Parts: sequence; structure tokens; C-alpha cells
Amino acid sequence: MIDYRIDPEAQARLAEASEIGRKELRPAGLEADRRGAPIPTDDPFFDRCLERGEGGTTWAGPKGQRAPRRRSSVVERLLISEELAYWDRGVVIALPGPGLPENNVLAMGTEEQKERFLGPFLAPDRPRWACFGMTEPGAGSDAAAIRTTARKDGDGWILNGAKCFIGAASRSDWILVQATLDPTLSRGKGRGAQRAFFVEQGTPGLGGFKIEKKMGLKAYESTSFALDDVRVPAANLLGGEARYESSAGFKTAMRTFNAGRPQIAANAVGMARAALDESIRFAKANDLLGQDRVRDRIEAISRKVRKARLVCLKAGWLADEERPNIVEASMSKALAAQMAQEATTLGLELVGLVGARGDHLIEKLYRDVKAMDIVEGTGQVQRMIIARTLVGLPR
Amino acid sequence: MFDLEPDDELALVLETARRLASEELGPPMRTHEAERRISPALAGSWEEVGLSTLDVPTELDGAGMGCLARVHVNEALAEGDVGAAIALDPFGPALIALLEVGGPDAARALLEATQDGKRRALYVDARDARVVPEADGLSLEVPWVPAEEAAALVLLDDAGARLVVEGLAFDPVRGAGVRAAGGAALRLDGAPVAGAWHDAVGIGRARARARLHTASLVLGVLSATWKFAAAYAQERQAFGRPIAHHQALAFLITDMRIALDAARLLVHEAAWRVDRGLPCETEAASAWAETIEIARTVGPNGVQILGGHGFMADYPVEKHMREARALSLLHGGYDAAIEEAGRALVAQATPLSLGQEGAL
Repeated sequence: MIDYRIDPEAQARLAEASEIGRKELRPAGLEADRRGAPIPTDDPFFDRCLERGEGGTTWAGPKGQRAPRRRSSVVERLLISEELAYWDRGVVIALPGPGLPENNVLAMGTEEQKERFLGPFLAPDRPRWACFGMTEPGAGSDAAAIRTTARKDGDGWILNGAKCFIGAASRSDWILVQATLDPTLSRGKGRGAQRAFFVEQGTPGLGGFKIEKKMGLKAYESTSFALDDVRVPAANLLGGEARYESSAGFKTAMRTFNAGRPQIAANAVGMARAALDESIRFAKANDLLGQDRVRDRIEAISRKVRKARLVCLKAGWLADEERPNIVEASMSKALAAQMAQEATTLGLELVGLVGARGDHLIEKLYRDVKAMDIVEGTGQVQRMIIARTLVGLPR
Repeated sequence: MFDLEPDDELALVLETARRLASEELGPPMRTHEAERRISPALAGSWEEVGLSTLDVPTELDGAGMGCLARVHVNEALAEGDVGAAIALDPFGPALIALLEVGGPDAARALLEATQDGKRRALYVDARDARVVPEADGLSLEVPWVPAEEAAALVLLDDAGARLVVEGLAFDPVRGAGVRAAGGAALRLDGAPVAGAWHDAVGIGRARARARLHTASLVLGVLSATWKFAAAYAQERQAFGRPIAHHQALAFLITDMRIALDAARLLVHEAAWRVDRGLPCETEAASAWAETIEIARTVGPNGVQILGGHGFMADYPVEKHMREARALSLLHGGYDAAIEEAGRALVAQATPLSLGQEGAL
């Protein structure tokens, strides 16, 4: 039955997220932006995260001995993502935990791998991170084009290549590195040749970490690194060789991305909403709300935020229903990212030269939000994906 | 809680509406347009289906399925032919608007005047009319209504709703579209007012429901145009491949679809609010503004995709473009919608905070 309600449990979690956002995320994000560098790993902010019970895994532990954390619906997770990004999306990404690859490990990892790589996140003794190494200098949205190689060598694997823009890479306990068995294969076959490997920090050959200077989202590190004859044992191949029949390896990575697109869209909605509220606050403080021009702009932003939110939740609802959501997931991201850029742009026009000083929240949001139209597939790539389904646009 | 799946009852009604649209409204659309009326046979089959009182409460012998059901069915029917959809529906938003402001007794007065829906009732937002204040009776002019006769008029303004059942004069006009429903300038010269009602909350809800009613019809037109253009673009070849496989057109078609899906969700969510008794005026105004905005682009782009063929009356997209544009001038149009929504939004510090009233 059609219902747009947020259930009471989700509302309570939203209120909690809002409180944390106001007290912790927004101040930390503004500070990182002022400093122009990621939040240091020894910052007390991360200790407080652990004290609140964050930074852990949803995995129930070996033989399920620990009561699993409540797995909320995708819709609920999107709402929480929106709320957290409202306060500061960069800080949310900086939070400790097994991060993006956790779902891959839960879906494909062997029990031994879950214990080895997620075990330390069951009750983390200190802030710990893990990350997913997919993007390369020559392969961004076209994830099938990666060139990092994996070569079988006795009972292990040798990895060579370079990754870039990887969140938290230098501080991660391990990186789940996506590599190909043969970069010369044609595109279709190349997908089937992809594998994912756990590369632990300190492994010889893993190095050259360079934390990039970014326009926005400065609270978390985006790092490039090199894999120079990195040897990992066979046990570090995600899921073991048997899981890599046909193109399962690539599809696992893309499954994460399909779930990730509405997540990015929800982030964009949250950031746009922050720009909207800040625009209203500024307009009210400066007696601008009596002007038609100002009200019209606020109405336009509000409408865009609401429709992007609904499209995003529809994509999430389809995921909850285990129905195909490729079109809707891409729609949500294409729409929300562009909308959020417009929202911050309009907000800046409203505040005028105040926005040019470089210390206004809307100005920060304007810089931060650009990434939403880039990560996990640009808006143009999303349209290609949608068009393939809707009108058979050839690959 | 969040769920976008229609329940079984609505799914069944929708299936019926879609079949009616594709089998009985769509194929004769040009005939109906030329004759400025629908065939008596079609009108007869409509009565059997019983969709007219879908959103009318059961206490008035309606199906009581609410606003959300109405907008779903409207869109489905308008996808076949919006002119016929309007011609078939004897009440449009008139009965529901009157019910919201005046309650069941007011609605019964309208039902009596239309002989329980055997004749049409018109809804007019006063912002679409030039109303002349008079001590006795009601005088007004409306440049265009999608009808050439009606037994009753419901006029809504900020003071309330008025019911007029005598003195309605229609001067037929060509009409920019929707001709299957007829088209006329409406004139009242000191017409007696059969009843007037003034419920502030009801006025807002009535306006919201009327806007959502028309918005869903426009969405149906735009959905039809998108489907036709997308299918055509996969058939039509240019430069050695289907035109849909040129990225410029692929992206255009994609953006049209995104716009359509997003506007539909706004309309549905606002209609859901109506049914739940939640604040809905701002959301409905916003949904109406969005529908108008996409009518400006999706309609003309449908023609654009077909190129020269799109400009010709051999294809439905030119009709869609005209009709979506004409309908989206109703209810005060875009400016009134954004003005109302804008004023309401800036009255709140954080208008889109999550979880207010447990809704989005």
C-alpha cells in the first residue's frame, strides 16, 4: 500500500543523527575545511566516535556469537545518510569503520576472511579504517577499464598498478584492491578477469601514498598509491577462486556501486537542504524574504530537493524490495547531484559577495557538493546507463 | 513503512483504466478531437466502469478511494487521450472541491444539480476568471474551459466556494487542445449563487486537490509523449543508426524520463498527504509548479525528437504538446503556484527537515 511515512524507529534514529550532526559533524567539517587537511587519525573526534559505538562492523562475528547489529532498510539508511550529509558529508566519509568494502566482504568473503578482516572491527580498540581501491588514473567511471594487474605466482598473487582518489587509504588497516588478470582483454572479457584482493597496510610494495589536495570535502583523505610487485597470499583473494566464475568479480564491485548511487544521491539531497536552510536563514536575517525574487529562488530549490529525495527513496525502496533499480539508482544520482549544485549556486547568489569571502557555509557546500556529480559515476555516465536500459544505447 | 506499491484494489482499478485508455480512448483520439466530443458508446462504457466517483467518500455513494487513487487513474486515462478523459469525467475536481469546503450537504447540492453525474460540473479557480463584484448574483468571464456545457459551476477563491447552477453561458472557442471535451469561454451575468461556503482549511485542501487532479492529467499526456518519442527514436534511423543511439538524443530522452518520474512522485506524495489529512497545500502547489515546468520541456521535446514528423498532425506528439501546455495554464498557472509555495516555505526555518509529522 502506498505510504510515504517515516516509521517511528527511523524517526528516532534521524533525531539521533541530527543531534550528532549538530554537535560533532558540522564543527569538525568546518574545522577541517579551515585547516585544509583531513581530520588527523589521533583527533579526539574519532575517540568520541568509538565511545558512541561507531566505527564497527555489522558482521555478527564468528559463528554469529554477537547479536548482529540491526540492519536497517535501504530507505532508512538513505534517510540517515541525507541527515548526516546535511551536517557534513566530508566528516561522514572520514568516520572510522570497514567502510565501502564491508558489503563486498559480507557478500563474497569466506568465513576466514570475515574473521580476519572484519574481526578487528567487532569491538575496535582504536579508530580503524578499511577502504576499497577501484579508481585509477585512467579508469574512473568506467570501472571495467582498470589496469592494475594481478598475476598468479605460486600460492600467491603479485599486484602491480596505481590507484587514485581512494578514501582513507593511508590510514586503512587493509585495502580491497580491484585488479585484472589481463588488461589486454577486450572489454567484455575484461570484466570477467577482474578480482579483488585484501592488501594489508605495510605489505612490501604498497606505498607512495599521496594525500591529494582537494577543492572541498577536506575532512577525509583522498589518496593515491602505488602497488609495486605487491605479493599477497592466495587467502587474500576475496571469496577464493571459486567465486570468480564468469564476471562475478566485476559484478560484485558494481553491486556495491548500484547500492552506492542512491547513497550519493541522498548525500547530495542533505547538502542541498543545508544550503536551502542557510539561504533562508540569511534571507530572514537580512529582510530579504519580502522579495519575490528571493522567495521564487527558495521555492525552486525546495522543489528540486524534494523531488530528488523522492527519486532517491524510490531507488532505495526498489532495493529493499529486491527489484531491479539500475535506472532509478542512476536517475537518483543524476538528478540529485545536479540539483545540489544548483541549490548551492542559487544560495551563493542569494548571499551575494558574502559568499565570495570563503568563510560561508554555502560557499563550502558549493565546493563540497561538486564531487557528488563525479564519484560513483558522473552524471553523464548515469545517463548512459539509463539510456542503455530505456532505449538500448549501445555500449 | 515507505512503500510505493499500490494496494490490490487500486491495482485493479488502474488495470481497468489503462485498458480503457489504450483500447477506447487512444485509437479514436483524432476523431474525438475533430468532432469536439466523445462517442455516445464510449460514454456508455464509462458509466459501466464507474470511475467517476472513485475519490468521492462512501457516504456520498462513492468508492472512497481518495486523492491518490484519483491521480493514478487520471494519469492512466490521460495517457490514452486527455480530452476524452476530461469529457468522460462529469465532475472533474468540482465535486471534491465543494466537498472539502462545504461538506457533504454542499456536495449533495451539486449532485442534485447534475442529476448524480449525468451532466457535467465545472470547477473554476477564481484566478483564472475575471470576476465582477456585484451585489446580487455572480458575474464573471473565463477565457477558456474544457467544456461546452455544464449543469453546475464551482468557483473557488480565497473566501470560499460558490455553487452556481443557473445562468452558465458558453461561447464555443476553437481551443488550443483538449477538444474532445469541447472548449468555450464561460460567461456569467448576475447568475444566482445556489450556495456559498467558507472553510479556511477546506479552501486550501480544495485548491490542492484541484491542482493535483489537473497535474495528474498533464502527467498522463507527458507520459504518452515520452513513450511515443522514445519508441520512435529507436525505430527512426539517421546517420546509420537509430536516432536514440546518438548520445545527444539518448540523453534528451533520459532527462525527459527523469523529469517525468520526479514530477510524478511529487504529485503522488502530495496526494498521499491529502488522504492522510496532513498539510498538503504547499506540496500540491509545488507539485503543480513542477508539472507545469516539465510540460514546458517534455512536450516540445517530444515533438523535437520526431523532427518534421512531430510537427505534423499524423503523430500524437504535437497534440500532446498543445494539450499539456493549455492545461498547465489552469489554477492560476505557474506564477500563482510558486508564489504560494514560496510564501509558505519561507515561513519555516527548516522547511524540509526529515520526519516532520512522520512524513517526508
